[in-house]
Amino acid sequence: MGDGGSGNRGGNSNNSGGGSNKPEWLQQYDLIGKIGEGTYGLVFLARIKSQTNRGKSIAIKKFKQSKDGDGVSPTAIREIMLLREITHENVVKLVNVHINHADMSLYLAFDYAEHDLYEIIRHHRDKVNHSINQYTVKSLLWQLLNGLNYLHSNWIIHRDLKPSNILVMGEGEEHGVVKIADFGLARIYQAPLKPLSENGVVVTIWYRAPELLLGAKHYTSAVDMWAVGCIFAELLTLKPLFQGVEVKATPNPFQLDQLDKIFKVLGHPTLEKWPSLANLPHWQQDVQHIQGHKYDNNSLYNVVHLSPKSPAFDLLSKMLEYDPRKRITAAQALEHEYFKIEPQPGRNALVPCQPGETFVNYPTRPVDTTTDFEGTTNMQPPQPVTSGAAVSGSMPGGHVSNRSVPRPMNVVGMQRMPHQAMQAYNLTSQAGMGGGMNPGGMPMQRGVPQPHQQQQLRRRDQMGMPGYPQQKSRRI
Amino acid sequence: MADFLTSTHRAKWIFTPQQLVEKYRDASQRAIQTLEKCGATLMEVDSDGTMSYPEPQNSVKDNAEKHSRSKPLSIEEEQSIKVFYENKLQEVCKNFHFPHKIQATALIYFKRFYLHWSVMEHQPKHIMLTCIYAACKIEENHVSAEELGKGISQDHQMILNNEMIVYQSLEFDLIVYAPYRSLEGFMDDMEDFCNASEDQLQMLKRLQDTARLEIDKMMLTDAPLLFPPAQLALAALRSSVALHQVIDFDSYLSSLFSRQNSTHTMSELIEALNTIDSLVMKYKFPSDKELKHINRKLKSCWGQSSHDEGKKREKKSKHKSKKSSSEAHNAPPPA
Repeated sequence: MGDGGSGNRGGNSNNSGGGSNKPEWLQQYDLIGKIGEGTYGLVFLARIKSQTNRGKSIAIKKFKQSKDGDGVSPTAIREIMLLREITHENVVKLVNVHINHADMSLYLAFDYAEHDLYEIIRHHRDKVNHSINQYTVKSLLWQLLNGLNYLHSNWIIHRDLKPSNILVMGEGEEHGVVKIADFGLARIYQAPLKPLSENGVVVTIWYRAPELLLGAKHYTSAVDMWAVGCIFAELLTLKPLFQGVEVKATPNPFQLDQLDKIFKVLGHPTLEKWPSLANLPHWQQDVQHIQGHKYDNNSLYNVVHLSPKSPAFDLLSKMLEYDPRKRITAAQALEHEYFKIEPQPGRNALVPCQPGETFVNYPTRPVDTTTDFEGTTNMQPPQPVTSGAAVSGSMPGGHVSNRSVPRPMNVVGMQRMPHQAMQAYNLTSQAGMGGGMNPGGMPMQRGVPQPHQQQQLRRRDQMGMPGYPQQKSRRI
Repeated sequence: MADFLTSTHRAKWIFTPQQLVEKYRDASQRAIQTLEKCGATLMEVDSDGTMSYPEPQNSVKDNAEKHSRSKPLSIEEEQSIKVFYENKLQEVCKNFHFPHKIQATALIYFKRFYLHWSVMEHQPKHIMLTCIYAACKIEENHVSAEELGKGISQDHQMILNNEMIVYQSLEFDLIVYAPYRSLEGFMDDMEDFCNASEDQLQMLKRLQDTARLEIDKMMLTDAPLLFPPAQLALAALRSSVALHQVIDFDSYLSSLFSRQNSTHTMSELIEALNTIDSLVMKYKFPSDKELKHINRKLKSCWGQSSHDEGKKREKKSKHKSKKSSSEAHNAPPPA
């Protein structure tokens, strides 16, 4: 079936359609280099060239094409569709979607976050050699829960929470603000068309909830809370709490070792404490394996070095509750006593305001400047490092840390882009619809209100969505 | 599902009647201009998703000849064509036994797409199938394009070609709210409201079935672009109650109002329900004769006639092999 084009092809769209030419949309950025890689594709650091927001850092996530030649990557589409609906200070902000027509791949542009919990934990463990200060742990956890509460109250389960997906903003107006990222596996959980677990591997096993490990078919927002518990413990001890060895097989093999690691610390779950345990497939089928070792005692407080009577321990153990129905929710956790006692959590998690508290200068993210958007090619010779880059002192090895552009100047309010500026580099310019023929202009910005106002409105809308603890103004 | 109150659906895709008229008019006028300039209106969408308008005809004679042949569709005629394909869309979804949700999502995609475009620019058959394909992807009921194409004996490549332009035209706002789920909510609420006995539960079930059919009808009108899903569901319920007389709808409405802090007044709501009803009443499926006439006009606008079908195919395949080397932006096409 032809597409019925009448005449000659002409007025080619503004997309160069592959070849060696840079796609037009890419020319609005200075590409700095690759900062991440995953099963979904690659992440790049870029800077905006245009006058407004010049130098502003953007993370660009490039999705691999879907393998089976079945159109646009479903993971990318799902991530976009969720991010389009959500706006929250503690959730990463999608600022643009670019399309590379040559290979039908999608590029998602996000506000760049300099740090993530994986790197922060690693820095403390390997470089600083002391634990993360209490204020920072509490603030990170509070903001993570705040973002998660927002997601859960919008019926979204993240399903892949782990330290590397929890970003923290670098210097600037939002310094030290937590951003939950990577929504590739996230789902809306009203009446799933298929049991979610059928879609294959979900959630890195170290942070995977016991009900999933035991074969639960349908799961709830409680799986995210388990992951938060694991992350909380890791922030305290700098070590993953349950470091099981993953069984690699498809589909969804039984992860005995991971369960064993959990049981060793928390003791065996019992039907008394977790009645629906009896219905979980692996609990029935693999009884002898599971019960092979006898772990009766809960030794969690020893592992995390907390007094069993401390509020921190109380909160942690409520997050690591076996029965998902009894596990603490994000909303409840935000109200926990732990957040009410000193030091109270603040907006800038990285810089405590009390004098005398140590604060750590975290290294900037390593950037591989030898990789271009295609993912492999060695593009230009390394550029000289300007003085601005010198701040990134302790760069983990194995990467070329080549920051050719000084850190952006941080002006208050710059993070929230004015509407006009958004227009300048949103879908309009790369829609590939030919000059001036894009009907409607298709701005990414939704609605009339500015994002900032919108968020405040929303916060009022959301019942039971606590605002920042009152100290907010003091901390900033 | 994420909250309707904060959704892109509510913020961006509910219009006033005036706005809809303007959008339809703008799309139509753009297509008409193209027709005058180029003698044809259909945009070519390549396998890489790039689009182009037909090349302006250089020969005045050719232009004049074409022009005399191709008359643009009126806005009413465009509506008729859309109505036809929206019915087709429902049919295809039924044949594939897709859940209701997918059908509703695909229909809303289709409607939103043609807020931006005229049917003279993008073939509704292709867009309809692409919308179904996209809806399946979004609602996690993945069907391969090939499977979908096979099921209706169409080349699946055009689905893939159009996928990106559909997402773009939807501005990537892909989560949509259909009234079916709102209806379920109201039914649950009604059960509590009338403290239903077994008998009544049966009646309520019938009430719901009728209401669902009412919604099916609404989904074929402009109503989903004008009203939030809950109002559509209430209008459907009201029509259904008028038929079954199970409950006193007015007192149910009053109870709803007494329990919720509504931003609307009761009379505003009633007015909205009346408008929805009138949209359903006014709905008209075009006659075969009308359709035939419009289709002939449409084909001519697309620059298609039965005899150059073969030529076109040839051109397309030739073009494909050339594509990789066509990096020149606005270079004139080969003579």
